[in-house]
Amino acid sequence: MSPLTAVSAKTPPWRDIRVLRWLFQLVVLAIVVGILYWLYSNYQVNISKSKIPTDLRFLGNPANFTFPGQEFDQSSPVRAAFVQGFYNTLRVAIAGILLSIALGTLIGMARLSKNFLVRAVSTAYVEVIRNIPLLLLLTFMNLAVVLQTFPRIEDAWKPLDLFVVSNRGIAIPWFDGSTNTLLVVIALSVVAAISVGWWRTRRSDRTGRPARSLSASLLAFIVVSVGAWMALGYSWTLPVVADRGTEGGLRLDPSFFALLVTLVIYTSSHIAEIVRGSILAVPRGQGEAADALALSHGTKMRLVILPQAFRIALPAIGNQAMNLIKNSSLGAAISYFELTQVAQITVGNGSPAVPAFTLTLVVYLCISLVTSLILNLFNRRLALVER
Amino acid sequence: MSWIRHNLFRTWWDAVLTVALGAVSVWAISSLAEFVFVTGRWEIIEVNLKLMLVGRFPEQHLWLASASVMAIAGWMAAAFGSDPRRPEDVMSMKAKLWDTTQRFGLIVLLGVTLMMLAGLQESLPVVAGIIGAIVAGRLLNLARRRMSWLKSWPGIIWHLVVVSPAVVMVSLTLLNADLELWGGFLVNFYIAIISIVLCFPLGVLLALGRKSSLPIVRLISTSYIELIRGAPLFVLLLLAGVALEFFVPPSIAPGSIFRAVTVFTLFTAAYLAEIVRGGLQSIPKGQLEAGKALGLPAWKITLMITLPQALRNVIPAQIGQFISLFKDTTLAGAALSIVEVLKVSEAITKQDDFLGKGYIYESLTFVALLFWVGSYVMSRESQRLEKKLGVGQR
Amino acid sequence: MSNKVFTDATRMSDNRHESDAIVRLSGVYKRYKDFEALKDINFAVGTQEVVVIIGPSGSGKSTLIRCINRLEEHDEGRIVVDGTELSMDIRNIQEIRKETGMVFQNFNLFPHLSVLSNIAIGPRQVRNIPKAEAEALAMELLTRVKIPEQADKFPSQLSGGQQQRVAIARALAMKPKVMLFDEPTSALDPEMIGEVLDAIKELAQEGMTMVVVTHEMGFAREVADRVVFMADGEIVEVGTPSEIFDNPQEERTKKFLSQIL
Repeated sequence: MSPLTAVSAKTPPWRDIRVLRWLFQLVVLAIVVGILYWLYSNYQVNISKSKIPTDLRFLGNPANFTFPGQEFDQSSPVRAAFVQGFYNTLRVAIAGILLSIALGTLIGMARLSKNFLVRAVSTAYVEVIRNIPLLLLLTFMNLAVVLQTFPRIEDAWKPLDLFVVSNRGIAIPWFDGSTNTLLVVIALSVVAAISVGWWRTRRSDRTGRPARSLSASLLAFIVVSVGAWMALGYSWTLPVVADRGTEGGLRLDPSFFALLVTLVIYTSSHIAEIVRGSILAVPRGQGEAADALALSHGTKMRLVILPQAFRIALPAIGNQAMNLIKNSSLGAAISYFELTQVAQITVGNGSPAVPAFTLTLVVYLCISLVTSLILNLFNRRLALVER
Repeated sequence: MSWIRHNLFRTWWDAVLTVALGAVSVWAISSLAEFVFVTGRWEIIEVNLKLMLVGRFPEQHLWLASASVMAIAGWMAAAFGSDPRRPEDVMSMKAKLWDTTQRFGLIVLLGVTLMMLAGLQESLPVVAGIIGAIVAGRLLNLARRRMSWLKSWPGIIWHLVVVSPAVVMVSLTLLNADLELWGGFLVNFYIAIISIVLCFPLGVLLALGRKSSLPIVRLISTSYIELIRGAPLFVLLLLAGVALEFFVPPSIAPGSIFRAVTVFTLFTAAYLAEIVRGGLQSIPKGQLEAGKALGLPAWKITLMITLPQALRNVIPAQIGQFISLFKDTTLAGAALSIVEVLKVSEAITKQDDFLGKGYIYESLTFVALLFWVGSYVMSRESQRLEKKLGVGQR
Repeated sequence: MSNKVFTDATRMSDNRHESDAIVRLSGVYKRYKDFEALKDINFAVGTQEVVVIIGPSGSGKSTLIRCINRLEEHDEGRIVVDGTELSMDIRNIQEIRKETGMVFQNFNLFPHLSVLSNIAIGPRQVRNIPKAEAEALAMELLTRVKIPEQADKFPSQLSGGQQQRVAIARALAMKPKVMLFDEPTSALDPEMIGEVLDAIKELAQEGMTMVVVTHEMGFAREVADRVVFMADGEIVEVGTPSEIFDNPQEERTKKFLSQIL
């Protein structure tokens, strides 16, 4: 009675759903392109009036400034300054992320402690820090603590005779040798630790004897690193006060110190909340099932609760890590020469503003992109396979 | 006694922690108390209170600023909690009093502190006005729930009517007082409020765009959101500080507050878009289908069914975003030299009377107090709302 | 392969004429990537006829009924509802949706609107009926499903059975020519199934054309003019309730009935 194929020839295009969909999208695209074009043409008009260059040639100009506390030749090109600034951002970011995760996890678990005082103190910490603006905390740390409270170099504090604390920074004992080799040593030790741990677990699976893989890994790590240390002939140097500064050891620039401590305190309070939330988000039944299986408290946490909590927490912690990287840009407010500060200084020295700051933005975007790609990879590996 | 043993001294490790933390806490609290009540030299705040709160706002228009604060307070009192009450929500007078004290006690304490610093004579009319506005607002709220002719007004009309005095006062304040003279906490507050209001349409559009099935629309929305979220706010502000004038037609000369509001609006819109998107995802697909089955066109489904629910579901997250925005307004001072409260607090320590004597502690502590009370109370309210909204769903 | 009488549901119950069909599906296919959800569906529903579709889960019964009001898009074949063909034409789709009412398994009431507003929203927004008239109609329908006192309550305050009856009223408010029911009682607690089935039965007695997908065999026996058994995306067997339940011909039908009866 009727043909078997869908009849669409009769539909006029202005009523056809598919046509309408594409028309709508094209209209939206046109509007967006229109706005972008308007902005661009304004930019061209204004730029041509002011004769400011809009390309990246300024990167070749000499920088004409130095990095306090670091070796940097004034006449090096601006591009080298940017690289140094980027490196400084990475320094504070990596140290900050590691320390915040460590401190944040501790505080997060403390908030769930059965000890009333531990709970109260950690809750107070989180509630106070979370509600204060980061910049205020940073300003306080910089102006009130480091510059005001820390003593002048002549009266520097010397806790434990190992550190030298003054308003010139904090000097910690450091080793005497190249950083790159140290990183290689650390990498080797980590590899050794992982291999030993894996081997012990496999052996324990086969023979049933307790693996104690954690202790074994730790031992392997220490053995390899100390062995390499001695083989390479490294040694420690202790900082001592000399002239108007310190000699030996590693001096942490006061603004670096202030920025790092602030970022760690601030981010750890957020991570503490995430850790607490993720442990609470593990369904109650899991803990009950573990108890029914007679697992000890430690084993229950280690094998049942924490792995699941970790899966839940990972995206949020990754988010906080990215926030920390972005927040490091506030170093510019306290003259820590990270990427943003470098950009500000070169612009002050005459580099064209729009290209310089746009370049800075692009660098941050790339860092964010890379970080979120790594996180997505982690997430996917860890995600529980769902039906 | 057993409570103490159980909670504080269960194991020997526990005992060690308790003693150590106890000592630290006692030291911290006593030092803080000593600082606040004994050794702190609060004259710097007393003398500069007006500067810190409103900057160099012209004297003759100061009443406008106070009036807008009163209007906003009144609006909040009138607009929130006007949903129909369920029998289990009604509390006894005593319970209600205790509940209100818990919620707003801190603000009252802050208010009292400010009054003491400002001097009773100056602050009394303002405080009386604010209290009056709040009372009027609550009465309006009550009237809406009790009087049927008011109840019959559709929600949108009611909210628009109630918010209009606030909008009028805020606009008048903006128009009459020279923007360049504004400063202090008022600036933080205004930048935050204006940015969150302006960013709403853009944020909702972006959220709808990101969820759309149309690929180009989705691409545009996602690109915008991800680009903004990958960028540090501080750098965006710096960029706006030097570059915004290049992107607008030569006739407009953007002032610093204009730049700040532009950046905050565009920035917050991206974060709001993610929040609203979460809300949209929480709406079961079946409701969309029910709307379609009834023959409702797609735009009506979005406007009347999906969006109202989505926005309502994520009110706590929106409040959280506002709190973040509020705290981030301090960056405007550092990046654009806007004289907001943090900048003022640093500047006053350099005044002749106070230079070089370490007044920075008092100054920063006061600002920290202002922000802390505001943020804390707002986040408590949003937690309360979260609980209330969560319970309401079957 | 099989007797055409059984796989082609276009034959209506005996006292109907073929051209009376208010819903007609011809050669309808629906494919998801590499999976065929509907295969060569030929199906017609006459005015005032009650057709009940039964079958195992995954058989395509929900997909079929959802294709009728375009909640799913069919890939091949023709679907005609009340003279209007279902195509890419947005006007046709709107027309068909106005003339068909659907009741969902999960009710899908709008939680932020009162019961009365839920029912009134269709007439007001789609048929542009003024508010007072729409609300009067809504009250009338609420009375018809026997819960007029719930008018100002919100869906979350009602029981499942009451919510589903509100959903029926909401669909009826559009004065549709055909009512589609997608497993209306599957999400209900047992004690509430009865009240909803009663409401549907009343509708049938009043002469509404209905297509009902359900597992309630007792209901099918009582109310259906025809029963369609579907499996694996195709119509396996069609007949009167007594033909299907008491004397199934196909193997798959027999197997299914033995599992659930």
